[in-house]
This record gives sequence, C-alpha cells and structure tokens, in this order.
Amino acid sequence: MTARAAPAPLPPATTVGLLGWLRQNLFSSRGNGAVTVVLAVVLVWFVFNLGSWVFVEADWTVIISRAPLYIVGLYPYEGYWRLCICLLLISVLLGMAWRAWPNAARRFAFGFGAVMLFVGVFPHEMAPDHRALLLLNLPAIGLGYVLTPRPADVSPGRLEALAGSALSPALERAAIFSTPRRKVIAALVALVLTMILILGIAGVPGLDPVNPQDLGGLMINLLLAFFGIVCSLPIGIGLALGRRSSLPILKVACVIFIEVIRGVPLITLLFMSRHILPLTFPEDLNIDRVYLAGITITIFSSAYMAENVRGGMAAVHPGQAEAARALGLRDWQNTLLITLPQGLRNIIPAIVGQFISLFKDTSLVYFIGMLDLVEMGRVSVQGNQEFIDNGREVYLFIALVFWVFCFSMSFISRRIEGVLGVGRR
Amino acid sequence: MAETNGVHAAVDIPADKAEILARPLEERDDIVVCENVHKWFGDFCAVRDVSMRVKRGEVVVIFGPSGSGKSTFIRMINRLEEHQQGRIVIDGIEMTNDVRNLDAIRREVGMVFQQFNLFPHITVLGNITLAPQRVRHLPRSEAEALAMRLLERVGIPEQAQKYPAELSGGQQQRVAIARALAMQPQIMLFDEPTSALDPEMIKEVLDAMRELAATGMTMLCVTHEMGFAREVADRMAFFDEGALVELGPPDQIFNNPQEDRTKLFLDQIL
Ligand SMILES: Nc1ncnc2c1ncn2[C@@H]1O[C@H](COP(=O)(O)OP(=O)(O)OP(=O)(O)O)[C@@H](O)[C@H]1O
Ligand SMILES: [Mg+2]
Repeated sequence: MTARAAPAPLPPATTVGLLGWLRQNLFSSRGNGAVTVVLAVVLVWFVFNLGSWVFVEADWTVIISRAPLYIVGLYPYEGYWRLCICLLLISVLLGMAWRAWPNAARRFAFGFGAVMLFVGVFPHEMAPDHRALLLLNLPAIGLGYVLTPRPADVSPGRLEALAGSALSPALERAAIFSTPRRKVIAALVALVLTMILILGIAGVPGLDPVNPQDLGGLMINLLLAFFGIVCSLPIGIGLALGRRSSLPILKVACVIFIEVIRGVPLITLLFMSRHILPLTFPEDLNIDRVYLAGITITIFSSAYMAENVRGGMAAVHPGQAEAARALGLRDWQNTLLITLPQGLRNIIPAIVGQFISLFKDTSLVYFIGMLDLVEMGRVSVQGNQEFIDNGREVYLFIALVFWVFCFSMSFISRRIEGVLGVGRR
Repeated sequence: MAETNGVHAAVDIPADKAEILARPLEERDDIVVCENVHKWFGDFCAVRDVSMRVKRGEVVVIFGPSGSGKSTFIRMINRLEEHQQGRIVIDGIEMTNDVRNLDAIRREVGMVFQQFNLFPHITVLGNITLAPQRVRHLPRSEAEALAMRLLERVGIPEQAQKYPAELSGGQQQRVAIARALAMQPQIMLFDEPTSALDPEMIKEVLDAMRELAATGMTMLCVTHEMGFAREVADRMAFFDEGALVELGPPDQIFNNPQEDRTKLFLDQIL
C-alpha cells in the first residue's frame, strides 16, 4: 500500500514493432520462413499478372456501355427516376439505422453514400436529373439520421460530433422515429412504396405499370433475395413452431414440408414452378415468371429458415422455460415471450448467412428465362459481336459486385452480433 | 422466528401475516402437505416415500448429499417435476393434472434457482413485470410500481433499466427473488440460491432471504449455508438417497441428531 507500484514491465523487444511482428508470425522457424518466401513469390507473381491484365490489357468499355443492363435489366428508361426514389428511401432507412445502432450501421451508411456519390458524379452518360437524384442520397441519409432519436446511453453520434454538441438538442426535437413501433412502420411503408415505385400502378400518371419480365440485372437478384428472406422469416417461424408442437398432424406436416424442400435443389424447384405447377392452374390464370420465382425462392428459403429457427430455439437454456413455468406463464407464452425472441437473437448470423447464399442462388433464375445479373452478363457478351472477347471483364465485374454485397452484409452481421450481444447469457 | 422478527423490526409485515405470525407454529395450518411422495427417473427412484407438512410462515431448510433428491423434491412442489405416487396439497389445492389446479398452485408458489434463470433479452424491470402483466393481468404502470418496490426491498432499485448480464451474480439473484415475489406467492422455493455465487456476494442474497423470512413468508430452502439455517430455519430436513431421513428443529439437528446418517453428514461438512 505504501510503496508506489513499479511501472508495468515492457514486453520483450522481439514481439513489438514491424520487425518483431514479422519475426514472430512469418519467420518463427526455418520451415516457416521458407513457406513465407515461397508464398510471397507466388502472390507477387499472381498479383502482378492480374494487375497488368486489369490495368493494361483489359477493355472495360463493355461494362460502362452496358452498365444500366447489368444494374436494372430492361427496366424502361422513363422509369429510372422511380428507382432513384427507391434508393432515396433506402438512404433514409440507412440513416435511421446509423443513428439507432451506430456501431453496426455507420460504416454501411457511409459506404452506401460513397457509392451513390461515385455513381452520381463519375459515369459520363447519365441524364442530369438522375445524377441529381443519386446525389440527393447523401442528404437523405442525413434526414434519416436526424429523424431518429439517439439511444440514451450512446456518446454523441458522428453528426453531432462534426457540428459540435450545439446541434444535439435540435436533433432530439426533430426525432420522430422515436419508438421501435414507429421504426418498424417506417420500414414497412418504405417497403410498400418501393414495390409500388418499381412495379407502378395502372392509371396513375407517371407510375405506368412495368412489365415484370423487364425487371432484371442486379435489381432482380436483390429483390428476389430480399423478399425471399423477409417473407420466409414468418413462414419459417411458423414451420419451426409447428415442428415443435405437440399436435401430431401439424408436426408431421411441417416435418414433411421442411424435409422435402430441403432435399431438392433450388433449380429443380424453379423448373417445377415454371413447367409443372402451371399444369394444375386454371387455363386463364397466368402468373408471371417473376412472381413464380419469388414464391419458389420464398418456399425454398422457408424450409432452411425453419431449421435455423428451430436450432436457435433449441439452444436456449432449459432453465429459461423452467423459470417461465414457475412464474405461471403458459407454454405458448413461454414460446412467444421467452424462447422465440432468444432463439431469433441466436440465429441473426445464420439469417444473414442464409441471405448471402440465397442472394447468390438467385442467379439460378436464368433457368426459367429471367435476365438476372449473371445471365445479363452472358447475353451481353455472347449476343453481341462487338464484345464477344470481353467475357473475362464482364465476369470479373459480376464477381466483384456479388463479393461487395456479400462481404458488406457479413460485415454488418458481425457488428449487429456485437450490438445485440449474441452469445451473451 | 421470534428472534428474527426482533432483528428485522424495520420490515413491514402485512396485518394478516402478522396475525398468523403471532400464533405459535403448532397452531397454524399446514400450507404444504406431502404424503408418501415418490418420483422415479426411469428405474431410478430419486425421491422415495417422503411425507412432510409445512406450516404457514414456516422456514424449512433442506440439506443432504449431492444426488439425494433435494432439488427433485422441491421441484415437485410447483410441478416442475411430476410426482408419480403419493399426494401433494398446496394451500388446500390438490396437485393433479388439472390445468386450473396447476395454474392456481403456480400462483401460490414462487421459485428461485441456483443459476438465477433471468430472461437475458429483457431488462431487470421487464423480468419482474412480465409475469404480473401476463398472468395476473396487472396494468403496466401498476406492475412497474410493484417491481420498483420489490427492487427497493432487495436493495437495487438503480439497476431497473439494465439487462441481467450487466449485473453481478448477487444482484442477479436478488432480481430473481424480486421476480418471484412479484407474483405475490404464499410459498417460496429456493434451490441452492447461493451455490453459484462468489463468497462476497452470498451475504447479500442471504440477507434478502432473511428479510423475507421475517415477513412471515413460507420458505423451503435447499442450502448448505448452515449459519443461515441455524439462524433462520424453524425446522431442517435431511435428505439421503431420496429419502427424508430426519426432520427437526435446528437445535435437534445440530446438537442432538437422532439418526447416524445425519450426524455423519454434518460431521463431514462442518
Ligand atoms: N431429469 C432427470 N433424469 C434422470 N435422472 C435425474 C433427473 N434429475 C435428477 N436425476 C437424478 O435424480 C437424483 C436426485 O437428483 P437431485 O437433482 O434431486 O439431487 P440433489 O439432491 O438436488 O443434488 P445436488 O446437491 O447435486 O443438486 C440424482 O441421482 C440425479 O442423477
Ligand atoms: Mg440440486
């Protein structure tokens, strides 16, 4: 107590600094050093060759001239502004997410804003009004941010920090998305508006209906994956509860549904939805293949979602159910109030993982004749003499687009896990 | 009980409880009646032929070696385990498969677990108000006022808005006690409430239990805190190999055990 504590001893010199790191991780033994050298040589050779192709030999004009096809397919040019508005809605939601969960969503909101800025400024062939709409995404993110209250126990957000805390009281007053319910309503309204804007309504000037078959490119991959996941979550929860239920008929029905769907590749389900299912429809019923694909993907995804949910609920400690019973809660109350919420929280990473794989699986819709991003890439190369030699550029670009989306989603998922304390008991 | 009342004179005791407490134990009614209760897990008999009557306001400490059926026995009192033979009557309600009886009994009996079993996804306040709102259908404001009173009683009103994981073990266990009390039970069961706690936190939980005993709550506690038992228990029950071997006041158990097995076990742990 009396003597002052000695300063904490420093770690040995070899483990600090760049050299120390190199020695410890890459050259800790002779064999390790040899592996490091060989891998480094291979890596440099690979990167050099790829780089010289990317920057010198490759001809990227195909990407630039066909960009609209890759992004939105055959969507009519007159409707592009409607898609721009959808992006603005997404920006508002991202701004809300940034304020509500700064750790999870801030970088994503920044990234989205950066992409919009880039697209709004860089490409040469774009109408000025589209350009302006894209650039409006930056204020839209700010708007979502301002309209959402800051969680009470978080230090000032980026915006307040930038503008000095003088801004904070004004922000608190402006916040209208103050309760979880209002946030959910805002998201649902945005969802419905998005669908209306994309598909249009007959008879409303400016909102001419779009032929669903003209939806394509990256947009259709994203739409199918997004609606597939959103719709399959409630269905999957229902199936999982059914599978846990004590009613034998319900239970067996759910088990059969889940196991049959999981035992069949998506591509065969798509084939059946297009070529076998319509045999059972009345003659004059003609469901567009886009909707068939959406329904099929939802059903496919529900079966996996059900298993995820079941696993998440099974991982909830049995003491939780005992405590609920001891308090007099009924079984259904225990399921809905205790087990299900904890189970869902357990599976957030799995849901994102499922979204990522579903997003990639949506490229299978080429099989029923839809022009998604990958198929559009193939068509743009093989259907056009001018670009017949540019397959490498196109597929590299497509791979990059898929990777950016999948990577940013798994990034957010890890952040959300941190925020919600997944694995914390 | 009389001494503990003196020690905790500050505690408010409701009039009806006070009236019961004023009577000696022998003149009170039986709130828990177990007659020849048996429980098997497969072929293994975990509880055999246990008969016990607990008076209203009485504190019974249950102790015995690991695996002797203590947990199984008290879990049968709120039907977390089903007894397979014999009879259990709680405050005049026969324990049967009838859902209405079961609901009534669960309302009578609160339980505190070794591992706390708080709901990690809701706040401390939410943990305490959940069952009063959903089972007793109290309006939210009333449930929250009740929860705050109980949190004050266990000494942690400032933790109401936190999540269970943000609390120490001792605080979590006190929340668990408050959560059980929020259903205003007649009987409280404790299954080794301090066994998962660090030594410095045991006292705060035992203090909360002492206070509870002083208000005239009927309590069945599985615990090996012999100091607590000596001070608070009206009777102690020694279990071994599923059987109730000896039941008597602490004075008898500690100073003059009637059974060799009781003496042997106490010699080992004291
Ligand atoms: N669900 C179960 N299935 C099978 N056997 C069980 C089950 N629960 C308890 N048992 C067995 O019943 C016996 C009594 O268990 P119980 O948990 O009641 O003991 P205990 O006295 O509480 O012991 P401890 O001091 O270790 O908590 C033990 O041998 C145990 O293995
Ligand atoms: Mg036990």
